[in-house]
Amino acid sequence: MRKWSLCVLVVTACCLAGCSRGQQPAAPPKLKIAVVPKAVAFDFWLSVKAGAERAGAEQGAEIIWKGPSDERDIATQIAILEDAINSRVDAIVMAACDSKALLTVVKKAKQAKIPLITIDSGVDDPTVPCVATDNLKGARIAAQTLAKLTGDRGKVGVIPFVAGALTSTLREKGFQEEIKAHRRMQVASTLYSESDAAKGMAVAEDMLTSIPDLAGIFAANEPGAIGAARALEQRKLAGRVKLVAFDAADSEIAALQRGTIQALIVQNPVQMGYQGVRLAVQAVRGEPVPARVDTGVTVVTRDNLDQPEIKAMLAKPGRR
Amino acid sequence: MAKRDGARGGRHQRLADWLGPLVALVVMAGAFAIASPHFLTRNNLSSVAVQASAIAILAVAETLVIIAGGIDLGVGSVLALAGVAAAIAMSGGLAIPLACLAGLGCGLACGLTSGLLSTYGRMPSFIATLGVMGIARGTSLIVSGGENIFGLPGGFTELALVSWAGLPLPALVALAVAGLGHLLLTRTAFGRSVYAIGGNAEAARLSGIPVKRVVTIIFVISGLLAALSGLVLTSRLSIGQPTAGAGYELDAIAAAVIGGASLMGGQGTIPGALIGATIMGVLRNGCDLLHVPPFWQQVAIGVIIISAVFIDQFRRRR
Repeated sequence: MRKWSLCVLVVTACCLAGCSRGQQPAAPPKLKIAVVPKAVAFDFWLSVKAGAERAGAEQGAEIIWKGPSDERDIATQIAILEDAINSRVDAIVMAACDSKALLTVVKKAKQAKIPLITIDSGVDDPTVPCVATDNLKGARIAAQTLAKLTGDRGKVGVIPFVAGALTSTLREKGFQEEIKAHRRMQVASTLYSESDAAKGMAVAEDMLTSIPDLAGIFAANEPGAIGAARALEQRKLAGRVKLVAFDAADSEIAALQRGTIQALIVQNPVQMGYQGVRLAVQAVRGEPVPARVDTGVTVVTRDNLDQPEIKAMLAKPGRR
Repeated sequence: MAKRDGARGGRHQRLADWLGPLVALVVMAGAFAIASPHFLTRNNLSSVAVQASAIAILAVAETLVIIAGGIDLGVGSVLALAGVAAAIAMSGGLAIPLACLAGLGCGLACGLTSGLLSTYGRMPSFIATLGVMGIARGTSLIVSGGENIFGLPGGFTELALVSWAGLPLPALVALAVAGLGHLLLTRTAFGRSVYAIGGNAEAARLSGIPVKRVVTIIFVISGLLAALSGLVLTSRLSIGQPTAGAGYELDAIAAAVIGGASLMGGQGTIPGALIGATIMGVLRNGCDLLHVPPFWQQVAIGVIIISAVFIDQFRRRR
């Protein structure tokens, strides 16, 4: 009986080994590219994923998508990246939760000779290529848009997300610099949403309470936008206090159509994922890679929402 | 030992328990009222009540668990799961009451899991609820695909705006929950047994209290309250957010402790927890109004927790 079971085991093992060998084609092994966003939730990152997977399919690379569930969870992101380095992926594409804390990982990747590309949020290292929105420029455009909406006068509030996250800091800075150039305008309050809609709503409410003559709000990302929109609607101030926000989640577009949000500064996360993976493959092949790729922003309002190019850009690839 | 006995002389002592935090709240509110002309307005006080309501409901849950000698780290994640479950059900066409039941069902399941693991499973509640926290959070992200669920029926999202006596629904729900919790703890045999278990579980068991059953029920209540808080928050935000409630469990524990609960078990009051949650809400609101940098808010909350426990311990030693 025992010999018989041993035979079965050996035969099964051979079969399995034979099967797995049989599945691998004669073609070169697929490149494994780890794509690590700041968080796996939010519309924005899902678009990045779609772009990355499209590039992966074109380039014959396997995309390993892993990230923390909270954009503030720097430690988890570092752990995920260290795991990727230790499991010898061919390249890493990442959006840094923190521009300084992730430098240790960048160093490890360099030591392990694994090419690393940053997208959306870079690190404080000019040698690391970055595919992102020019957030300073985008925020300036947001400020100009808000200025036009408020008649170029009045107090405005800013809701950035996470202090220390490069994108948040750049958007806050860009907005404030542009508003300084408008003499009759003033940034009266800056409160962080911590990338949580409930917090975004609470700080928006407090902003409206502390500044009764607030003319406009700039929300630097999706959760802040959702929170601010909801706060305005609850206080019946939608349309009277102008709201300009980054990103184009479904709920933000709905708020745009309702007239609560006046303008959306839309990035191109699909391009970020796409170009990030393409550059990663180029780097693996030893080809030169540009230091910076600006994926640009588009100002979307209720008026241009139906234009075909805008519609195409806002379409969510491969999701419900 | 007499101080730990819930029933005898308990009510008088428990009154004193939360008087301290109440004084602290009044002083803090007074300071903010002087520093900012906008603080004592009806609009703002209403905002503070609503902003603190999510944590307040969780603080009631946490107080019940802490008095029984345990801890529930899962409440923040269960909040998110229930909200997401209800949101998916609603946006998929299910009737609002049924969708809410689905959300509450998630809370019940999570609470039951925590409870059974902590009692019959003989696991420290810290570990059991830590596990449930991860499972609930992961499940919210899975079922929502990581996206915020929006497009909820107006009937549901309008609920958070319903107001009575100047207080919006979220605050009313928090008060109702606190009231019921307080009655449960002070007027029922069940409540007395919770204090007894927290004071000395073995003695409670020997005196005939079904410890495992009571503690399991406490965790189920905690799960249900977390789910309720999730439904309230989903209505307020008009989206189901899988990332909601992150860190809320610690805020809830802090509120309970500020209100006089002891992590050793056997002590704590619902009014105290409510005051604790209000203190944190007032602190955050006041700092926002005065444009205090948000990082200082976190430092302040930490200082207040430590001070509250320190003063409380000092008072008890005399």
